[in-house]
Amino acid sequence: MSDYNIIGKRMPRVDSRAKVMGKVRYSADIKLHGMLVGKIKRSPYAHARILSIDTSKAENLPGVKAVVTGKDTEGVKWGVFGYTRDQQFIQTDKARYIGDEVAGVAAVDEDTALKALDLIQVEYEQLPAVFEPMDAMASDSELIHEDFPNNINIHVNIDTGEVDENFKKAHYIREDTFTAPEESYFQAEPYAVVARFDEDECLEVWCPNGGPHMKSKPLSNSFKLPLHKVKIKKIAIGGAFGGRSEICPADYICALLAKKTSAPVKIIFTREENTIATRQGHAMITTHKTGVDKEGRVLARDTTCYMDGGAYSSTGPIATTVPFLSMEQAYRMESVRYNGYRVYTNKPIRGMIRVHGRGFACGLDTQLDMIAEHLGIDPVEMRLRNSRQPGEYTNTKSLVSSCAMDETIHKAVEKSGFKEKWGKLPPFHGIGIGTNSVQTGFPMGIRGGSQSFIKFNEDGEATVMTGVVDNGQGNDNMVVQIAAQELGLLPEDIHLVSADTETTSSDPGSYSQVSTFVGGQAVKNAASNCKKKLFDVAAKVLKVEPDTLKAENRLIFVKDDPEKSIPIKKVVRISLLNFNSVNAEGGYWPKVDMKREWVSNPYGQMCEAFSFGTTIVEVKVDPDTGEVEVLEVTASQDVGKALNPLVLEGQFEGSIAMGGQGGMLTEYHEWHEGRCVNPTMLDYKLPLACDMPKINNIIVESIEPKGPYGAKEAGMSIAMSAAQGYSAAVSNAIGVHMDSFPLTPDKILTAIKNKKQQDTAK
Amino acid sequence: MEKLQITLNINGKDQALLVQPNDTLLEVLRDELDLTGSKESCSEGICGSCTIQMDGKPVRSCLTLAMEAQGTKIKTVEGLANGDELSNLQQSFIDHGAVQCGICTPGMLMSADALLSETLNPDDTTIRQALSGNICRCTGYSKIVEAVAHAGKPEKSCPDCQTKE
Amino acid sequence: MRLPGFEYLNPQNLDQTLDMLAEHKDEAKILAGGTDLLVRMKKGLLAPKYIISLKALDSLSYIKDESDCIKIGTRTPIADIIASKPVQKHARALFQACEKIGAVSIQHYKGTIGGNILQNNRCHHYNQSDFYRSGRQACHKDGGKICYAREEADRCNSTCQSDGATALMALGAGLTLAGKDNKREVELANFYTTDGIMPFAMESQELLTEISIPKTNGESAYKRLAYRSAIDYPIVCAGVLLESDNSDKIVRARIVVGAMGRAPLLLANAASKLKGKDMNDQATFKDAATAAMSSAAAFAVHNVGSTLEYRCAMVEEMVLQALKEI
Ligand SMILES: Cc1cc2nc3c(=O)[nH]c(=O)nc-3n(C[C@H](O)[C@H](O)[C@H](O)COP(=O)(O)OP(=O)(O)OC[C@H]3O[C@@H](n4cnc5c(N)ncnc54)[C@H](O)[C@@H]3O)c2cc1C
Ligand code: SF4
Ligand code: FES
Ligand code: FES
Repeated sequence: MSDYNIIGKRMPRVDSRAKVMGKVRYSADIKLHGMLVGKIKRSPYAHARILSIDTSKAENLPGVKAVVTGKDTEGVKWGVFGYTRDQQFIQTDKARYIGDEVAGVAAVDEDTALKALDLIQVEYEQLPAVFEPMDAMASDSELIHEDFPNNINIHVNIDTGEVDENFKKAHYIREDTFTAPEESYFQAEPYAVVARFDEDECLEVWCPNGGPHMKSKPLSNSFKLPLHKVKIKKIAIGGAFGGRSEICPADYICALLAKKTSAPVKIIFTREENTIATRQGHAMITTHKTGVDKEGRVLARDTTCYMDGGAYSSTGPIATTVPFLSMEQAYRMESVRYNGYRVYTNKPIRGMIRVHGRGFACGLDTQLDMIAEHLGIDPVEMRLRNSRQPGEYTNTKSLVSSCAMDETIHKAVEKSGFKEKWGKLPPFHGIGIGTNSVQTGFPMGIRGGSQSFIKFNEDGEATVMTGVVDNGQGNDNMVVQIAAQELGLLPEDIHLVSADTETTSSDPGSYSQVSTFVGGQAVKNAASNCKKKLFDVAAKVLKVEPDTLKAENRLIFVKDDPEKSIPIKKVVRISLLNFNSVNAEGGYWPKVDMKREWVSNPYGQMCEAFSFGTTIVEVKVDPDTGEVEVLEVTASQDVGKALNPLVLEGQFEGSIAMGGQGGMLTEYHEWHEGRCVNPTMLDYKLPLACDMPKINNIIVESIEPKGPYGAKEAGMSIAMSAAQGYSAAVSNAIGVHMDSFPLTPDKILTAIKNKKQQDTAK
Repeated sequence: MEKLQITLNINGKDQALLVQPNDTLLEVLRDELDLTGSKESCSEGICGSCTIQMDGKPVRSCLTLAMEAQGTKIKTVEGLANGDELSNLQQSFIDHGAVQCGICTPGMLMSADALLSETLNPDDTTIRQALSGNICRCTGYSKIVEAVAHAGKPEKSCPDCQTKE
Repeated sequence: MRLPGFEYLNPQNLDQTLDMLAEHKDEAKILAGGTDLLVRMKKGLLAPKYIISLKALDSLSYIKDESDCIKIGTRTPIADIIASKPVQKHARALFQACEKIGAVSIQHYKGTIGGNILQNNRCHHYNQSDFYRSGRQACHKDGGKICYAREEADRCNSTCQSDGATALMALGAGLTLAGKDNKREVELANFYTTDGIMPFAMESQELLTEISIPKTNGESAYKRLAYRSAIDYPIVCAGVLLESDNSDKIVRARIVVGAMGRAPLLLANAASKLKGKDMNDQATFKDAATAAMSSAAAFAVHNVGSTLEYRCAMVEEMVLQALKEI
């Protein structure tokens, strides 16, 4: 029997009732008295010097309340790291991609604001533009950012030594190059932001965010306001997937307009703006050179990756490193060298995304399959021979304490019938496996831990304050579950105050898989401190020692003698009568190597835990059209501990849709001279209900000693491994290892035809 | 532009409104009537997040002029529950974990509700077909399909069907 | 996204509608379901001064099963056509095409068959927002002089992606057009111009009122290809009609390929390969399909997704599949 009555249970989410009633408010739903409509003027050129901006006509249009340009910004530049500060919120000297911000307007209504945009006259001098990383590095025309020679934004070099020596020892060596274009988040909610200055001159902002505290800091810097005067408010959020983590120039522009007009301003992005002017995933060209011994164990790997970074740095150093990290966590390598280049181009900004590096990861797995084929080993065995084991260190020196990677492989293999199917399926019918690992809760060098505060109310219910934000994945529920479990209450007794910079303490935000591990842990610690206070009082009443007590179902009772109990409500009352309020705080800071740095020192404990996922996919390919029908997907992940299987399964399934079905079959951006040809979901093919396969979810629990209740993260290593599983299955079905992702019907058909020609030539 | 007086029947109530000819039904619902349950995720008829029902049929309100909605019975997500009492479908969405970020949810519910009013026991394929005009970025659809299949018809083998008496 | 402003006209009958059209001509646009028109207006591709709604014209919404033909009013919703027994029986290609339009749950209840035929041609360089189209020269269809899809093109090669039109052309459908003082009938196959800017040979004061599908002894089928199985325009599609005599000899064949040119392409040469051949002669099907591919390939440009090579190759496959289904 589990020790927990709430943790580990299939519990419907606390936020769903309001959502199914249509009552929940998202940023675009906010209405404030006297609110104006804001719009952003963007550069229609990919690379152009701004010679002049004339706003007078727009300002004179009746109904226009304010126009702002780069002049109003005092030239402040933003960057996630000190050394990547390269983006102005409104450009003053030049525009670097089609969509770059050049001005903003606020007007009484949308029609007027749109008219005003047209009346702003910007004189540009067009500059030569570059759209591919290789071209950008070789270009001798004007640099995109003058301080970055060859347009190289970030170069990450990792070398564990002995790579060349080990290649000499290798039994078999392969070098292959894999490519994938950029993909997009397509959060269901287009970006929207509302800002106003209240009567105390505090800036209030509502917007989708991956962490309110990550937004308040840059705003406080740029408006020169103390942090307490920047209030990022709690609001429902319609998806993030890594794309809502940083400050968005629109946040700043909206606040600036609010300041200038002394009125609330709301900016809602069009779907196109959300695609081109928030973030996208990176396009990548990855070359893996791998040497193995006779058994297929990797002795040496040399990986070079060129990433199309777009116009600005964003999370550049992190983005350049994460694909490598996932590789080194999932698979053992005796030695490895990595050169990751993130290159500026005149394309939209890129950031971290759910499947970060599909070309990288799928390339790696494809190559493993090729090597296995050469050695006559099956793909499962190949993975088991190289898979990460608990207690090991990664190549860059992170200890992996809990790891059930092998178990995820075994369980998925069994459930999917892989062994029975491998090599025995009819023609054009294939099965494939992908495995991956993601970091759980890394501090990224830009932020720290999370703190939570809990107070009991007189009625025995508790208010929990935490900075943890819910982007849609269910974090609010996670926090409520943990608090209820720990305090011995029921979920409905927990009142949540979260993701609001005014009332909640700092939190690292909901990305890089920190919410449960760090934020959830902070809540757990706060609750447990609070419970101690309750136990001290209850112990006196029950005349026992506090450590003999347990709290559950609104009661505190003696563990060995449950009859001996007292309602929590009563304990709280007694406390209050004795002038002791029942409240407590708690925090959590991940213990990592603080000397580790993305570029200058990429070695040391990276984060405390790693999740591991395996996805097995079975497909049927139509040899005449190249279309893929996905028959079944089996996903298993080592999540540490399943806090709520219902929510977890939802994360798995969503990951398969985004990482596998979309990410490996249909999703990619097309470009025409720097213009994104498919900015809407009509031409950017998000998967639909009718195209999704049957999914089997398998939850594997390794109980991470450092995680709350043993938990790590939910679903990310499924998203990654799903992409790999899909590509492996298609390759298996057509008998060709594919090197250009995603696997669209045209590419598949070409591969089938080429193979046929080669086969007949033989 | 001059505004025109129209009456719309929304969730069983007649509402007198002043609209411009180029106002979409979605804009009027959200901006004039504060019925913000219907979402504008694409504005081009692609995603289905703005789906409402007109005379029982699912329709994209972002591509419907408010003027054109006169004389029809409009139902929005706000009209699904009977006061505080959720419909079986709504409850089933909650119980089966069919809601994540919630942006697609109102449109999904309106499409599914229209399906269930015509088809008593839709099978998996029928449900997926009926929801094919509603894009969800979060869930991968499995739980949504399950929620529709089990709405008001608890399955013994389903761990998420409320079997409470 | 906001719609541009317009005056909304709400005629109560056909005559009023035709009067309004005659009065406002180019300045007016007909609004049927709006699922094509309103999207284009939101993107700033057109801004008519008047919108003439067909909402009150219930008289244009019908499916009549007559002895020699099926007559469909142009304001009939796609959903009604899918549900229609006579259509399923005598015009299977249309039924199959309609099933695939947009998404069942949505486009089918609002979108009409008239609007489907008259939806404007598409091109991914053109069906974009005002913002996308700014900062570069306008293309032919946008009032300029260049084409982004085919260099040096002297005209617009935007693609007709109507599912309905392709199927209807295969079925040999005819159209009825009404103006204030005249009424005319035209074969759908003769309804198209040779310029994607204005693909339809019709006057701005004309209203499309009826579609007539002749009943034959033949059978029809429709196949289309898209990346998704809903909310996706076809990147290639094919409608075919075969009529045979008592001895299973093909006496009449029509092959139409859609989404490959400015209009659905009626491919007489490909069809001629089938005449006189046996209904079960798969090799001939292949010949016809290959011929269809080479004819259609000449028309297509890369402007609606996937790759041109792939779409061309798939013409053969779609035609073949459609033929085999009969
Ligand atoms: C997301 C999405 C997906 C789609 N997918 C498909 C698809 O897969 N296949 C496909 O074929 N279509 C597709 N469409 C296009 C469209 O929905 C359909 O073609 C629909 O049938 C159009 O009908 P409507 O009544 O809405 O047309 P409307 O938009 O009302 O009209 C279209 C055009 O025809 C004119 N018009 C309409 N009726 C008449 C008439 N009687 N006389 C004169 N002029 C008239 C209008 O002025 C307008 O220019 C899609 C649309 C969307 C938004
Ligand atoms: S085919 Fe050429 S002219 Fe026609 S819409 Fe496309 S780019 Fe413009
Ligand atoms: S907002 Fe209406 S369909 Fe997307
Ligand atoms: S729940 Fe987020 S889009 Fe469906």
